[in-house]
Amino acid sequence: MVVEIVRERLLYEWDFVATLADMDLLLLGLWNTIQVFFLALVFGVPLGLGLALGRMSRILVLSQLCSFIIEFFRTTPPLVQLFWFFFALPILISVQMTPFVASVLTFSIQSSAFFAEIFRGGINSIDKGQWEAAKAIGMTRKSSLTRIILPQAVKRMIPAFAERSIELLKTTTLISTVSYADLMFQANELASKNFRPLEVYTVVAIMYFFLILTFSQLTIRLEYRLAKTGEGTLR
Amino acid sequence: MDYNWDFASVFVYWNVLAMGLWATFKLFIICSTLGLGGGLFMGMLRYSKTRWISYPAMLYVEVFRNTPVLVQIIWFFFALPVVTGIEVSPMMAAVLGITLNTIAFSAEVFRGGIQSIEREQWEAGKAIGMSYAQSMRRVILPQALKRMLPPLTSRGIEVFKMSTLASVVAYPETLQQAKLIASYEYNPIEAYTVVALMFFIVLLPLVQLTYMLERRFGKSDA
Repeated sequence: MVVEIVRERLLYEWDFVATLADMDLLLLGLWNTIQVFFLALVFGVPLGLGLALGRMSRILVLSQLCSFIIEFFRTTPPLVQLFWFFFALPILISVQMTPFVASVLTFSIQSSAFFAEIFRGGINSIDKGQWEAAKAIGMTRKSSLTRIILPQAVKRMIPAFAERSIELLKTTTLISTVSYADLMFQANELASKNFRPLEVYTVVAIMYFFLILTFSQLTIRLEYRLAKTGEGTLR
Repeated sequence: MDYNWDFASVFVYWNVLAMGLWATFKLFIICSTLGLGGGLFMGMLRYSKTRWISYPAMLYVEVFRNTPVLVQIIWFFFALPVVTGIEVSPMMAAVLGITLNTIAFSAEVFRGGIQSIEREQWEAGKAIGMSYAQSMRRVILPQALKRMLPPLTSRGIEVFKMSTLASVVAYPETLQQAKLIASYEYNPIEAYTVVALMFFIVLLPLVQLTYMLERRFGKSDA
């Protein structure tokens, strides 16, 4: 009897036609995913730099505040943050919150906390002599940071930065839970429409796989190039 | 900003939240044990010199590292029953998704750690007559583990946070319980704030531990 069941299951007829016919729905979802990902990077990176500089500041209040923000957003699950921004924040400040705004807001802040630590690590990794050299030729702290330290630090940060961006891209799937029409959400919709969850979710997994693989291959290529010019961290 | 915070409406349900936290811990313990154990195994397969062992292991690692966990959980929950005919419970789907994902990530940590040990250590092990398995267990792993401790702890923290994804398939962990409270009492602000604080309080010491481990073991071999 068990053999019967196994045989019956193995003979399950995969039928991708229904899924592929609605590919435009999934592609729209993919586009929406990329939009949120891109915007979260655009806002998250500068915010991360700000938080990092704040944390390294000599003003105690500022540095402790920034530390707290960074630690808070690093230790709470992104899904909880998303729910908070989507369900709680609108009541608190009485504004209309759309799934799109909540998603971009959450992931900008969430990833900025992680970017901040990458910035801080990068800046700290630069030899102290560089700061002293800049000071010796009369640069202020600010101009030595922007002209001497950051250009060198950014190169070292690229691998960590790429890894975090990939992480962000994967985390964007969470926004389907607040009904933003990203790839995951479109997949849920499609699966409940054509009753073919196996095919739909398999196709979506493959789409994510290739999207992320392309991105990670690009960054590996970049790392090798940096390693060649002696500026990367790979050896 | 004249909102009246009412945390009492959350705390009357403390037992609901406690049940959720227990379920979160259960997920965390199962997934991190199986995930790290499996990761060690997968990492060694990945390190193997035999191609037909290392290539499938590499394929596994890449597939699970390059797809989002949520997609994996949903796939196991909705798609796996269609292929196998086995009913998959929310707990099962979450454990499968998070564990298999953790195996893939920690496999890379283990592989990196093993690779970082100098070749001479292997040769020394061989010279005093140790087999491959013996040198791995007695010489290589004890040294590699020390270097891998910081990334493995951050993996553990990641698993703890990932457990909230189980709420998507309605497994009653902390976030799911908070959703329930919020929908009974119409107090999403308080409910989700409490959950955020719960995670913060549980994970902050662990994060501090990672920092300490990084300072200790990150750079030197002390």
